[in-house]
Amino acid sequence: MCDGNQNPAAVPTPVLDVQGDGRWMSMHNHFVSSSKDKEPEIVFIGDSNVQLLHQFEIWRELFSPLHALNFGGLGEGTQHVLWRMENGELKHIKPKIIVLWVGTFNQGHTAEQISGGIQAIVRCMQQRQPQAKVVVLGLLPRGKNPNPLRDRNKQVNELLNEAMPSMPNAMFLDVDPGFVHSDGTINHNDMYDYLHLSRQGYARICQPLHKTLLQLLEGRGTPTQQ
Amino acid sequence: MSQGDTNSAAVPHAAEDVQGDDRWLSQHNRFVLDCKDKEPDVLFVGDSMVQLMQQYEIWRELFSPLHALNFGIGGDTTRHVLWRLQNGELENIKPKVIVLWIGTNNHENSAEEVAGGVEAIINLINVLQPQAKIIVVGLLPRGEKPNPLREKNSRVNQLLRSWLPRLPGVQLLDVDFGFVHSDGTISRNDMFDFLHLTAIGYAKVCRPLHELIMQLLEETPEEKQVTLA
Ligand SMILES: [Ca+2]
Repeated sequence: MCDGNQNPAAVPTPVLDVQGDGRWMSMHNHFVSSSKDKEPEIVFIGDSNVQLLHQFEIWRELFSPLHALNFGGLGEGTQHVLWRMENGELKHIKPKIIVLWVGTFNQGHTAEQISGGIQAIVRCMQQRQPQAKVVVLGLLPRGKNPNPLRDRNKQVNELLNEAMPSMPNAMFLDVDPGFVHSDGTINHNDMYDYLHLSRQGYARICQPLHKTLLQLLEGRGTPTQQ
Repeated sequence: MSQGDTNSAAVPHAAEDVQGDDRWLSQHNRFVLDCKDKEPDVLFVGDSMVQLMQQYEIWRELFSPLHALNFGIGGDTTRHVLWRLQNGELENIKPKVIVLWIGTNNHENSAEEVAGGVEAIINLINVLQPQAKIIVVGLLPRGEKPNPLREKNSRVNQLLRSWLPRLPGVQLLDVDFGFVHSDGTISRNDMFDFLHLTAIGYAKVCRPLHELIMQLLEETPEEKQVTLA
Protein backbone atom coordinates (compact mmCIF):
# COMPACT_ATOMS: atom_id res chain seq x y z
CA MET A 1 0.00 0.00 0.00
CA CYS A 2 1.09 3.51 -0.74
CA ASP A 3 -0.72 5.39 1.96
CA GLY A 4 -1.67 9.01 1.61
CA ASN A 5 -1.74 11.57 4.38
CA GLN A 6 -2.79 15.16 4.78
CA ASN A 7 -0.38 16.30 2.09
CA PRO A 8 -2.52 16.84 -1.04
CA ALA A 9 0.57 16.26 -3.19
CA ALA A 10 0.89 12.76 -1.71
CA VAL A 11 -2.76 11.66 -2.00
CA PRO A 12 -3.32 9.52 -5.11
CA THR A 13 -5.75 11.50 -7.25
CA PRO A 14 -7.02 10.90 -10.76
CA VAL A 15 -7.07 13.96 -13.04
CA LEU A 16 -10.61 15.25 -13.40
CA ASP A 17 -11.73 15.23 -17.00
CA VAL A 18 -12.68 18.90 -16.91
CA GLN A 19 -12.17 19.38 -20.64
CA GLY A 20 -14.41 16.47 -21.49
CA ASP A 21 -12.40 14.32 -23.89
CA GLY A 22 -11.02 11.81 -21.36
CA ARG A 23 -7.44 12.14 -22.61
CA TRP A 24 -5.66 11.61 -19.31
CA MET A 25 -7.42 8.34 -18.56
CA SER A 26 -6.94 7.20 -22.17
CA MET A 27 -3.20 7.71 -21.82
CA HIS A 28 -3.11 5.89 -18.50
CA ASN A 29 -4.97 2.94 -20.02
CA HIS A 30 -2.53 2.88 -22.92
CA PHE A 31 0.44 2.85 -20.58
CA VAL A 32 -1.04 -0.09 -18.68
CA SER A 33 -1.91 -2.12 -21.75
CA SER A 34 1.25 -1.28 -23.68
CA SER A 35 3.37 -2.48 -20.75
CA LYS A 36 1.87 -5.98 -20.93
CA ASP A 37 3.84 -7.16 -23.93
CA LYS A 38 7.02 -5.18 -23.32
CA GLU A 39 10.05 -5.88 -21.20
CA PRO A 40 11.58 -2.47 -20.61
CA GLU A 41 14.91 -2.08 -18.84
CA ILE A 42 14.07 1.54 -18.09
CA VAL A 43 10.75 3.31 -17.58
CA PHE A 44 10.38 7.09 -17.66
CA ILE A 45 7.46 8.34 -15.58
CA GLY A 46 6.22 11.88 -15.07
CA ASP A 47 4.45 14.84 -16.60
CA SER A 48 4.47 16.47 -20.04
CA ASN A 49 8.20 17.13 -19.81
CA VAL A 50 8.67 13.36 -19.89
CA GLN A 51 6.07 12.87 -22.63
CA LEU A 52 7.55 15.55 -24.89
CA LEU A 53 10.98 13.96 -24.60
CA HIS A 54 9.45 10.97 -26.33
CA GLN A 55 8.57 13.15 -29.33
CA PHE A 56 12.11 14.27 -30.03
CA GLU A 57 14.77 12.50 -32.07
CA ILE A 58 17.03 12.32 -29.01
CA TRP A 59 14.69 9.75 -27.45
CA ARG A 60 15.23 7.37 -30.37
CA GLU A 61 18.92 8.16 -30.35
CA LEU A 62 19.69 7.72 -26.64
CA PHE A 63 16.85 5.94 -24.86
CA SER A 64 15.11 3.62 -27.32
CA PRO A 65 18.30 1.54 -27.63
CA LEU A 66 18.20 1.05 -23.84
CA HIS A 67 14.71 -0.51 -24.12
CA ALA A 68 13.05 2.41 -22.43
CA LEU A 69 9.30 2.98 -22.10
CA ASN A 70 7.82 6.44 -21.72
CA PHE A 71 4.88 6.95 -19.35
CA GLY A 72 4.91 10.74 -19.50
CA GLY A 73 1.48 12.25 -19.03
CA LEU A 74 0.00 15.72 -19.31
CA GLY A 75 0.64 18.80 -17.18
CA GLU A 76 0.00 16.84 -14.02
CA GLY A 77 1.18 16.87 -10.42
CA THR A 78 2.71 14.32 -8.05
CA GLN A 79 -0.71 13.25 -6.72
CA HIS A 80 -1.78 12.27 -10.26
CA VAL A 81 1.37 10.31 -11.04
CA LEU A 82 0.97 8.57 -7.68
CA TRP A 83 -2.53 7.49 -8.72
CA ARG A 84 -1.22 6.09 -11.99
CA MET A 85 1.47 4.13 -10.15
CA GLU A 86 -1.13 2.62 -7.85
CA ASN A 87 -3.44 1.72 -10.70
CA GLY A 88 -1.59 -0.62 -12.97
CA GLU A 89 1.30 1.15 -14.64
CA LEU A 90 3.83 -0.79 -12.56
CA LYS A 91 1.96 -4.07 -12.70
CA HIS A 92 3.25 -5.87 -15.78
CA ILE A 93 6.85 -4.72 -15.95
CA LYS A 94 10.08 -5.30 -14.10
CA PRO A 95 12.47 -2.53 -15.09
CA LYS A 96 15.98 -2.13 -13.77
CA ILE A 97 15.63 1.64 -13.59
CA ILE A 98 12.72 4.02 -13.16
CA VAL A 99 13.29 7.67 -14.04
CA LEU A 100 10.84 9.93 -12.22
CA TRP A 101 10.32 13.54 -13.25
CA VAL A 102 7.32 15.36 -11.82
CA GLY A 103 6.46 18.28 -9.56
CA THR A 104 6.69 21.49 -11.55
CA PHE A 105 2.94 21.33 -12.34
CA ASN A 106 1.84 20.96 -8.69
CA GLN A 107 -0.54 23.90 -8.64
CA GLY A 108 -0.72 25.69 -5.30
CA HIS A 109 1.50 23.27 -3.39
CA THR A 110 4.49 24.20 -1.24
CA ALA A 111 8.00 22.88 -1.83
CA GLU A 112 7.62 20.65 1.25
CA GLN A 113 4.38 19.19 -0.08
CA ILE A 114 5.84 18.53 -3.53
CA SER A 115 8.94 16.93 -2.08
CA GLY A 116 6.66 14.81 0.11
CA GLY A 117 4.61 13.85 -2.95
CA ILE A 118 7.71 12.77 -4.86
CA GLN A 119 8.92 10.73 -1.88
CA ALA A 120 5.50 9.05 -1.68
CA ILE A 121 5.85 8.05 -5.36
CA VAL A 122 9.37 6.72 -4.73
CA ARG A 123 8.12 4.64 -1.77
CA CYS A 124 5.30 3.30 -3.92
CA MET A 125 7.80 2.34 -6.62
CA GLN A 126 10.08 0.66 -4.10
CA GLN A 127 7.23 -1.44 -2.78
CA ARG A 128 6.04 -2.50 -6.20
CA GLN A 129 9.38 -2.68 -7.98
CA PRO A 130 11.96 -3.48 -5.28
CA GLN A 131 14.58 -4.47 -7.86
CA ALA A 132 14.42 -1.09 -9.62
CA LYS A 133 16.71 1.82 -9.01
CA VAL A 134 14.72 5.05 -8.94
CA VAL A 135 16.35 8.13 -10.44
CA VAL A 136 14.52 11.27 -9.35
CA LEU A 137 15.24 14.16 -11.67
CA GLY A 138 15.47 17.63 -10.21
CA LEU A 139 12.88 20.22 -11.18
CA LEU A 140 14.08 22.77 -13.68
CA PRO A 141 13.87 26.52 -13.31
CA ARG A 142 11.00 28.07 -15.28
CA GLY A 143 9.73 31.45 -16.44
CA LYS A 144 11.78 33.88 -18.50
CA ASN A 145 12.62 35.99 -15.47
CA PRO A 146 13.12 35.19 -11.76
CA ASN A 147 9.80 34.26 -10.17
CA PRO A 148 8.36 32.42 -7.13
CA LEU A 149 8.01 29.10 -9.00
CA ARG A 150 11.72 29.05 -9.70
CA ASP A 151 12.40 29.52 -5.99
CA ARG A 152 9.88 26.79 -5.16
CA ASN A 153 11.37 24.29 -7.63
CA LYS A 154 14.85 25.04 -6.31
CA GLN A 155 13.67 24.40 -2.77
CA VAL A 156 12.06 21.12 -3.85
CA ASN A 157 15.44 20.05 -5.23
CA GLU A 158 17.19 20.93 -1.99
CA LEU A 159 14.68 18.90 0.00
CA LEU A 160 15.01 15.93 -2.34
CA ASN A 161 18.77 16.13 -2.31
CA GLU A 162 18.61 15.79 1.48
CA ALA A 163 15.93 13.10 1.56
CA MET A 164 17.06 10.76 -1.22
CA PRO A 165 20.24 9.36 0.41
CA SER A 166 18.12 7.82 3.18
CA MET A 167 15.74 6.17 0.71
CA PRO A 168 16.90 2.73 -0.42
CA ASN A 169 17.74 2.30 -4.08
CA ALA A 170 16.89 5.88 -4.96
CA MET A 171 19.01 8.76 -6.14
CA PHE A 172 18.54 12.41 -6.93
CA LEU A 173 19.91 13.80 -10.18
CA ASP A 174 20.00 17.50 -10.90
CA VAL A 175 20.10 17.79 -14.69
CA ASP A 176 20.02 21.59 -14.92
CA PRO A 177 23.05 22.46 -17.05
CA GLY A 178 22.66 26.13 -16.16
CA PHE A 179 19.51 27.17 -17.99
CA VAL A 180 19.42 30.47 -16.09
CA HIS A 181 21.83 32.97 -17.59
CA SER A 182 23.89 35.44 -15.57
CA ASP A 183 21.26 38.14 -16.16
CA GLY A 184 18.61 35.91 -14.56
CA THR A 185 16.81 35.02 -17.79
CA ILE A 186 16.05 31.70 -19.43
CA ASN A 187 16.41 31.55 -23.20
CA HIS A 188 13.54 30.34 -25.38
CA ASN A 189 16.06 28.37 -27.43
CA ASP A 190 16.32 26.08 -24.38
CA MET A 191 12.71 26.29 -23.21
CA TYR A 192 10.44 27.39 -26.01
CA ASP A 193 7.67 28.53 -23.66
CA TYR A 194 9.94 29.05 -20.65
CA LEU A 195 8.74 25.74 -19.21
CA HIS A 196 8.95 22.97 -21.81
CA LEU A 197 12.27 22.06 -23.34
CA SER A 198 13.20 22.57 -26.96
CA ARG A 199 15.28 20.09 -28.91
CA GLN A 200 18.36 22.01 -27.79
CA GLY A 201 17.20 22.02 -24.18
CA TYR A 202 16.61 18.27 -24.22
CA ALA A 203 20.04 17.71 -25.74
CA ARG A 204 21.58 19.56 -22.80
CA ILE A 205 19.88 17.46 -20.12
CA CYS A 206 19.79 14.10 -21.88
CA GLN A 207 23.52 13.61 -22.31
CA PRO A 208 24.27 13.59 -18.55
CA LEU A 209 21.10 11.60 -17.87
CA HIS A 210 22.05 9.00 -20.47
CA LYS A 211 25.50 8.70 -18.95
CA THR A 212 24.04 8.10 -15.48
CA LEU A 213 21.62 5.47 -16.81
CA LEU A 214 24.44 3.60 -18.55
CA GLN A 215 26.46 3.61 -15.34
CA LEU A 216 23.50 2.26 -13.38
CA LEU A 217 22.84 -0.45 -15.97
CA GLU A 218 26.47 -1.49 -15.74
CA GLY A 219 26.19 -1.59 -11.96
CA ARG A 220 28.43 1.38 -11.40
CA GLY A 221 27.46 4.52 -9.55
CA THR A 222 24.75 2.56 -7.79
CA PRO A 223 22.60 4.67 -5.53
CA THR A 224 22.38 3.99 -1.82
CA GLN A 225 22.17 0.25 -1.27
CA GLN A 226 19.46 -1.15 0.91
CA MET B 1 -23.66 36.05 -36.93
CA SER B 2 -21.73 36.79 -33.80
CA GLN B 3 -22.15 39.93 -31.75
CA GLY B 4 -18.74 40.95 -30.45
CA ASP B 5 -20.13 42.45 -27.28
CA THR B 6 -22.05 39.41 -26.11
CA ASN B 7 -19.61 36.68 -27.14
CA SER B 8 -16.81 36.27 -24.58
CA ALA B 9 -14.74 34.38 -27.18
CA ALA B 10 -14.60 37.60 -29.20
CA VAL B 11 -13.53 39.87 -26.34
CA PRO B 12 -9.76 40.50 -26.21
CA HIS B 13 -8.36 39.26 -22.94
CA ALA B 14 -4.81 38.87 -21.60
CA ALA B 15 -4.19 35.50 -19.98
CA GLU B 16 -4.04 35.59 -16.20
CA ASP B 17 -0.73 34.49 -14.74
CA VAL B 18 -2.37 31.74 -12.68
CA GLN B 19 0.80 29.66 -12.40
CA GLY B 20 2.89 32.60 -11.24
CA ASP B 21 5.89 32.60 -13.58
CA ASP B 22 4.56 35.16 -16.05
CA ARG B 23 5.40 32.97 -19.04
CA TRP B 24 2.46 34.09 -21.16
CA LEU B 25 3.43 37.75 -21.14
CA SER B 26 7.11 36.88 -21.63
CA GLN B 27 6.20 35.03 -24.80
CA HIS B 28 3.96 37.82 -26.06
CA ASN B 29 6.68 40.40 -25.43
CA ARG B 30 9.17 38.27 -27.33
CA PHE B 31 6.81 38.09 -30.31
CA VAL B 32 6.38 41.88 -30.29
CA LEU B 33 10.17 42.25 -30.33
CA ASP B 34 10.40 39.72 -33.18
CA CYS B 35 8.14 42.00 -35.23
CA LYS B 36 10.60 44.84 -34.80
CA ASP B 37 13.63 43.10 -36.24
CA LYS B 38 12.23 40.46 -38.57
CA GLU B 39 10.42 40.64 -41.86
CA PRO B 40 8.28 37.54 -42.10
CA ASP B 41 6.45 36.65 -45.31
CA VAL B 42 4.37 34.18 -43.37
CA LEU B 43 3.05 34.47 -39.84
CA PHE B 44 1.60 31.60 -37.81
CA VAL B 45 -0.70 32.58 -34.93
CA GLY B 46 -2.49 30.34 -32.47
CA ASP B 47 -2.21 27.96 -29.54
CA SER B 48 0.02 24.97 -28.74
CA MET B 49 -0.89 23.30 -32.04
CA VAL B 50 0.97 26.17 -33.74
CA GLN B 51 3.68 26.45 -31.09
CA LEU B 52 4.62 22.79 -31.02
CA MET B 53 4.92 22.69 -34.81
CA GLN B 54 8.04 24.81 -34.51
CA GLN B 55 9.70 22.18 -32.34
CA TYR B 56 9.63 19.55 -35.04
CA GLU B 57 11.96 19.04 -37.97
CA ILE B 58 9.13 19.73 -40.41
CA TRP B 59 9.07 23.40 -39.40
CA ARG B 60 12.72 23.79 -40.39
CA GLU B 61 12.07 21.85 -43.57
CA LEU B 62 8.92 23.59 -44.81
CA PHE B 63 8.37 26.88 -43.06
CA SER B 64 11.71 28.33 -41.92
CA PRO B 65 12.74 28.76 -45.59
CA LEU B 66 9.61 30.91 -46.12
CA HIS B 67 10.74 33.39 -43.45
CA ALA B 68 7.90 32.32 -41.22
CA LEU B 69 7.39 33.52 -37.66
CA ASN B 70 5.59 31.39 -35.10
CA PHE B 71 3.41 33.20 -32.57
CA GLY B 72 1.84 30.16 -30.91
CA ILE B 73 1.22 30.05 -27.15
CA GLY B 74 0.11 26.86 -25.42
CA GLY B 75 -3.38 26.94 -23.95
CA ASP B 76 -4.47 30.10 -25.75
CA THR B 77 -8.08 30.72 -26.70
CA THR B 78 -9.53 33.07 -29.32
CA ARG B 79 -9.74 35.92 -26.82
CA HIS B 80 -6.05 35.61 -25.89
CA VAL B 81 -5.02 35.71 -29.54
CA LEU B 82 -7.27 38.74 -30.07
CA TRP B 83 -5.53 40.53 -27.21
CA ARG B 84 -2.08 39.64 -28.47
CA LEU B 85 -2.82 40.81 -32.01
CA GLN B 86 -4.29 44.05 -30.70
CA ASN B 87 -1.22 44.65 -28.56
CA GLY B 88 1.75 44.66 -30.88
CA GLU B 89 2.04 41.28 -32.58
CA LEU B 90 0.87 42.75 -35.90
CA GLU B 91 2.98 45.90 -35.72
CA ASN B 92 6.12 46.60 -37.76
CA ILE B 93 5.56 43.60 -40.02
CA LYS B 94 3.81 43.09 -43.33
CA PRO B 95 3.32 39.37 -43.88
CA LYS B 96 1.80 38.11 -47.10
CA VAL B 97 0.13 35.15 -45.49
CA ILE B 98 -1.18 34.69 -41.95
CA VAL B 99 -2.00 31.20 -40.74
CA LEU B 100 -4.51 31.12 -37.89
CA TRP B 101 -5.10 27.96 -35.87
CA ILE B 102 -7.06 28.51 -32.68
CA GLY B 103 -10.18 27.43 -30.82
CA THR B 104 -9.72 23.92 -29.43
CA ASN B 105 -8.90 25.38 -25.99
CA ASN B 106 -12.06 27.55 -25.81
CA HIS B 107 -13.60 25.28 -23.18
CA GLU B 108 -15.99 27.88 -21.84
CA ASN B 109 -17.50 28.67 -25.21
CA SER B 110 -20.07 27.08 -27.49
CA ALA B 111 -19.16 26.21 -31.08
CA GLU B 112 -20.99 29.33 -32.26
CA GLU B 113 -18.98 31.49 -29.88
CA VAL B 114 -15.68 29.89 -30.90
CA ALA B 115 -16.44 30.48 -34.58
CA GLY B 116 -17.43 34.05 -33.68
CA GLY B 117 -14.11 34.47 -31.90
CA VAL B 118 -12.21 33.26 -34.97
CA GLU B 119 -14.24 35.64 -37.10
CA ALA B 120 -13.35 38.53 -34.78
CA ILE B 121 -9.66 37.69 -35.17
CA ILE B 122 -10.03 37.63 -38.96
CA ASN B 123 -11.74 41.02 -38.89
CA LEU B 124 -8.93 42.44 -36.77
CA ILE B 125 -6.27 41.04 -39.11
CA ASN B 126 -8.10 42.51 -42.09
CA VAL B 127 -7.97 45.95 -40.44
CA LEU B 128 -4.34 45.81 -39.28
CA GLN B 129 -2.86 43.75 -42.14
CA PRO B 130 -5.21 44.31 -45.11
CA GLN B 131 -2.69 42.95 -47.61
CA ALA B 132 -2.34 39.61 -45.85
CA LYS B 133 -4.14 36.52 -47.05
CA ILE B 134 -5.48 34.47 -44.18
CA ILE B 135 -5.56 30.71 -43.87
CA VAL B 136 -7.77 29.47 -41.06
CA VAL B 137 -6.77 25.92 -40.17
CA GLY B 138 -9.74 23.78 -39.21
CA LEU B 139 -9.90 22.36 -35.70
CA LEU B 140 -8.85 18.74 -35.33
CA PRO B 141 -10.77 15.98 -33.58
CA ARG B 142 -9.41 15.14 -30.13
CA GLY B 143 -9.67 12.47 -27.45
CA GLU B 144 -9.04 8.78 -28.02
CA LYS B 145 -12.74 8.00 -28.38
CA PRO B 146 -15.78 9.91 -29.60
CA ASN B 147 -16.57 12.71 -27.16
CA PRO B 148 -18.40 16.05 -27.00
CA LEU B 149 -15.28 18.09 -27.80
CA ARG B 150 -14.88 16.30 -31.12
CA GLU B 151 -18.46 17.19 -32.00
CA LYS B 152 -17.92 20.78 -30.93
CA ASN B 153 -14.74 21.18 -32.97
CA SER B 154 -16.46 19.68 -35.98
CA ARG B 155 -19.36 22.12 -35.53
CA VAL B 156 -16.89 25.04 -35.34
CA ASN B 157 -15.44 23.94 -38.67
CA GLN B 158 -18.92 23.66 -40.15
CA LEU B 159 -19.79 27.20 -39.06
CA LEU B 160 -16.50 28.60 -40.36
CA ARG B 161 -17.07 26.84 -43.67
CA SER B 162 -20.36 28.67 -44.08
CA TRP B 163 -19.24 32.06 -42.68
CA LEU B 164 -15.79 32.55 -44.14
CA PRO B 165 -16.78 32.99 -47.80
CA ARG B 166 -18.38 36.29 -46.73
CA LEU B 167 -15.04 37.66 -45.53
CA PRO B 168 -12.36 39.02 -47.86
CA GLY B 169 -9.01 37.27 -48.36
CA VAL B 170 -9.61 34.32 -46.07
CA GLN B 171 -10.04 30.61 -46.56
CA LEU B 172 -10.52 27.57 -44.38
CA LEU B 173 -8.13 24.65 -44.73
CA ASP B 174 -9.44 21.36 -43.40
CA VAL B 175 -6.39 19.37 -42.33
CA ASP B 176 -8.16 16.38 -40.84
CA PHE B 177 -7.04 13.64 -43.16
CA GLY B 178 -8.53 10.67 -41.42
CA PHE B 179 -7.19 11.13 -37.90
CA VAL B 180 -10.25 9.25 -36.67
CA HIS B 181 -10.06 5.58 -37.59
CA SER B 182 -13.05 3.50 -38.68
CA ASP B 183 -13.53 2.24 -35.11
CA GLY B 184 -13.86 5.83 -33.88
CA THR B 185 -10.45 6.00 -32.22
CA ILE B 186 -7.53 8.37 -32.70
CA SER B 187 -4.06 6.83 -32.61
CA ARG B 188 -1.21 7.93 -30.38
CA ASN B 189 0.98 7.62 -33.48
CA ASP B 190 -0.75 10.77 -34.74
CA MET B 191 -1.60 12.54 -31.48
CA PHE B 192 0.66 11.53 -28.61
CA ASP B 193 -1.76 12.72 -25.94
CA PHE B 194 -4.87 12.51 -28.11
CA LEU B 195 -4.65 16.27 -28.73
CA HIS B 196 -1.13 17.29 -29.70
CA LEU B 197 0.43 16.02 -32.90
CA THR B 198 3.43 13.75 -33.27
CA ALA B 199 5.96 14.21 -36.08
CA ILE B 200 3.79 11.85 -38.15
CA GLY B 201 0.66 13.83 -37.35
CA TYR B 202 2.33 17.14 -38.24
CA ALA B 203 3.55 15.73 -41.54
CA LYS B 204 -0.07 15.00 -42.50
CA VAL B 205 -1.12 18.53 -41.61
CA CYS B 206 1.88 20.53 -42.77
CA ARG B 207 2.33 19.28 -46.33
CA PRO B 208 -1.08 20.48 -47.61
CA LEU B 209 -0.70 23.64 -45.52
CA HIS B 210 2.67 24.32 -47.11
CA GLU B 211 1.21 23.73 -50.54
CA LEU B 212 -1.54 26.28 -49.96
CA ILE B 213 0.90 28.84 -48.54
CA MET B 214 3.14 28.46 -51.61
CA GLN B 215 0.15 28.93 -53.86
CA LEU B 216 -0.87 32.13 -52.04
CA LEU B 217 2.71 33.45 -52.07
CA GLU B 218 2.87 32.91 -55.82
CA GLU B 219 -0.35 34.86 -56.22
CA THR B 220 1.39 37.74 -54.43
CA PRO B 221 3.94 38.61 -57.10
CA GLU B 222 5.61 41.99 -56.42
CA GLU B 223 8.68 41.62 -54.17
CA LYS B 224 8.74 37.87 -54.51
CA GLN B 225 9.52 38.11 -58.23
CA VAL B 226 12.30 40.60 -57.54
CA THR B 227 14.00 38.46 -54.91
CA LEU B 228 13.80 35.40 -57.11
CA ALA B 229 15.29 37.21 -60.14
CA1 LIG C 1 9.77 44.41 -39.10
